Amino acid sequence: MTQAALYPLGRAARRALAASWLHPLNDTPAVDELLGAINPMWSLNDIRARVVEVILETHDTRTFVLAPNRRWPGFQAGQHVALEVEIDGVRHHRTYSLSAAPGGRRLALTVKHQPGGRVSSWLHQRVRIGDVLKLSAPAGDFVLPEPLPSRLLMLGAGSGVTPLMSMLRTLRARNYGGEIVFLHSCRQPADAIFGSELKALAAAWPALRLVMHYSQEQGRLDRTALQRLLPADLSGCHGLLCGPHGFMDLVNAWWHERGAPGALQQESFSGPVLHAVAPAGASSEVRCVRSERVFTAAGQPLLVEAESAGLRPKHGCRIGICHSCQCRKLSGTVENLLTGAVSSAPDETIQLCISAARSDLTLDL
Amino acid sequence: MTPRKQLSREQVAAFQAEIDAVRNEVKADLGERDVAHIRRVIRIARGSAVAGRSLLMFGFGPASWLLGVTALANAKILENMEIGHNVMHGQYDWTNDPALASQTYEWDNVCDAEQWRHSHNFMHHSYTNIVGKDRDVGYGILRMSDKQPWNPYHLFQPVSNLLLALLFEWGVGLHDVEFERVFAGKVSREQFAERMRPFLRKARKQMVKDYLLFPALALWNWPRVLAGNVAANLIRNVWAYAIIFCGHFPEGAETFTEEETRDETRGDWYLRQITGSANLEGGPLFHIMSGHLSHQIEHHLFPDLPAHRYAEVAPRVRAICEKYGVRYNTGGFWKQYFSVMRSVFRHALPSRAPQPALA
Repeated sequence: MTQAALYPLGRAARRALAASWLHPLNDTPAVDELLGAINPMWSLNDIRARVVEVILETHDTRTFVLAPNRRWPGFQAGQHVALEVEIDGVRHHRTYSLSAAPGGRRLALTVKHQPGGRVSSWLHQRVRIGDVLKLSAPAGDFVLPEPLPSRLLMLGAGSGVTPLMSMLRTLRARNYGGEIVFLHSCRQPADAIFGSELKALAAAWPALRLVMHYSQEQGRLDRTALQRLLPADLSGCHGLLCGPHGFMDLVNAWWHERGAPGALQQESFSGPVLHAVAPAGASSEVRCVRSERVFTAAGQPLLVEAESAGLRPKHGCRIGICHSCQCRKLSGTVENLLTGAVSSAPDETIQLCISAARSDLTLDL
Repeated sequence: MTPRKQLSREQVAAFQAEIDAVRNEVKADLGERDVAHIRRVIRIARGSAVAGRSLLMFGFGPASWLLGVTALANAKILENMEIGHNVMHGQYDWTNDPALASQTYEWDNVCDAEQWRHSHNFMHHSYTNIVGKDRDVGYGILRMSDKQPWNPYHLFQPVSNLLLALLFEWGVGLHDVEFERVFAGKVSREQFAERMRPFLRKARKQMVKDYLLFPALALWNWPRVLAGNVAANLIRNVWAYAIIFCGHFPEGAETFTEEETRDETRGDWYLRQITGSANLEGGPLFHIMSGHLSHQIEHHLFPDLPAHRYAEVAPRVRAICEKYGVRYNTGGFWKQYFSVMRSVFRHALPSRAPQPALA
C-alpha cells in the first residue's frame, strides 16, 4: 500500500501501519485525497507528474514533458507507462512509451492523436502546462541489451518510433561506438515523428545511419523495399522493432528470410486495436488471462458460454441485476444484450450474464 | 389481484419498453455530475467521522458528547446507506474508480460485504418479495405477509421487532448465514461453519475498532468514547431499520408466491419490483440520509443506477404507473412507519382469510 512513502520506517512498522485492525486510522486513500487537495502532486501511493512543456512534434503528435513526484522509481529506455485520465467521470488507462532518455528529472510521453480516440483527443485538446497527470510505474522488457552489441538495427513505423527514440538518445548519451542503422517508416515527411531531430542526430553522429521511408512517395514498404534500403550484410546485428502489427509481420518475415542473422527484440505497438465487429451470433475467440483458458463464444451471454466451456465464473441473478458476474474486459467488442449497445472500449467492466461477444475478446477471468 | 394478471401481455411489453427507456436515458447521461455527488458525500462522511470521533475523544461535558455521537452516527449512516449500499450495487462501476468498485468495497458495518452482495444484491433484488425465496420478507424472524405460515412464536413479534431495530446491523450481518435453515436442519455443520467465518471475521474487526481501539486511544476518557460509539451504532441501526422496513412492509406492498412469478418477462419483473416496494416522501436531505432508499420503487427498478438520480426519474416512473393503472405506493415517513407497525402487530396473529397452500 504505502510502501514507498513508509520505506524509511522499516518493514515491521510498515506492516503494522497497513494492518486491517487499525482501519480507519490508516485509511491511505482518505489521506491521499487530503494530500491531493492541498497539492495535486502529493500522494502516498500514486505517481503523479506535472506537465512542464508541450512540444508539437507533427501536425497530430505532441510530446508532453513531465516532472514526476518522488514516487517515480526511474525507468529504462524503451519502457512504457499507463497513463490514467478521468474524462467526464470515467477513468481511462492508456499505455504510452517514454520517449526521452532516462536519467534526467524529466519524463516525456509522445502521443499521436488517434481520430475518434477518447484519451488521445483529450490529451491533445485539454491538457495544458501545469496540469497534473497520474501514471503507473514503468514496465516492459523492450529495453537495450546489456552489454551493448556492436551492431544495432532499429526499425520503427509511425508512433512505434517513440521507444526507439528513447533508446537512441540513451545510446548517444553513452557515446555508443558501434554501428546503428535506424529505419523510420511513415506516410509522408509531415508525419515523421522526431524527423528533424533524427536528421540532425545522424548528421552529427557518424555511428548512426538514418533511413527514412515515406510510403506515399516511395510506395508501400515491402520485402523488396526492405532489401533495398537496409544493409546487405546483417551479420552480428541485433534488431529492435516497434510499430503497428502489419509492419511487424512484414519485418519478421523478412528477418527470417534473411536467415535471422541475430536476435530481433520487438514490441507490438498497439494503437487503437480495431477489432472487426462481428455480426451478432458469429463465433469469436475469448481469451481468459487469469485462468489461462480460451473458449469460443457465439451469440449466447458470455456467462453461459464460459460455463459450457467448463469455467465457473462467480455469478448470481443471471439477468443483469446483481453485478456478481462482473468482470474486466481487457480488449474486444461486446454487445449488451439488454440494451443492444455495442462497446469496444479497452479495459472496461462488463456483466458476463448480459454481454455477448462481437469480436475476439480478452477477459480478466 | 396483481398487475401481471390485470394487464395483457402486450401491455406488459409496452410497460417494459417505457421503463427501459427511462433507464437507458439515465445510463447514457452518466458522467461528471454523478462522480462529483458521490465523492462529495464520501468527503462529508469522512469529515463527519473525524469530527465525531475527535469530539468523543477530546471533548468534555455532555454537549460535546451528544454532538460527537450525532456526527459519528451521521458518518455511519451516510457511509452505510448513501455510499456503501449504493456503491456495492455497482452504481458507480462505470467510473473505473477502484474506490467506487462494487465487488471490492467494504463498509463500516458488522455485515461482511461479500455476504451482503449475495444476500442483498442477488437474493433480495432478484427474488424481491417472493415468499420462501426472498429472505428479506420478515428477515426469517417476523411474519409480514398472510402468505407466510403462522407460528406461535410470531405472537412475540412486537418484541422481536423492537430487538431487530436495535440490533439491526447484527441481523443484517447474520442474514446470509440463514439461521432459520440451520434450525430446520437444512444446513450441514460444515456449511454453517463456512458461513459463520466471514461474519465472525468482520464482526471482530468492527468490535476491535469501535469498542477497543478508539476507546483505548482515549486513555482515561475511554468510557466516554465507548458509550459514544455504542450510541452511534444504535442510532444508525434504528434509522437503517426504519427506512428499510418502510421500503417493503407498509400495507399494500405486495408479496408473491413462487407460482405467481414463474416465466416472468423483464416487464413482469418490473411490475413485481414496483408493487412490492413503497416510497417515502421528503426533502433532498431526507433522501440522502436514507441512501435514496426513500425511492425504494425506483431503486428496485434500477438498482445499479446512481441513487441520487432516483428523485429525478420518480415523476416519470409514477406517470408510467398511472398510465397502466399500476399502484405506486408512496407516503410520508410516519404514515408508512405506522402502517408497518400495524402490519407487525396484525401478522403476529394468524390470518383470518384462508391461506393459500404453501409447500
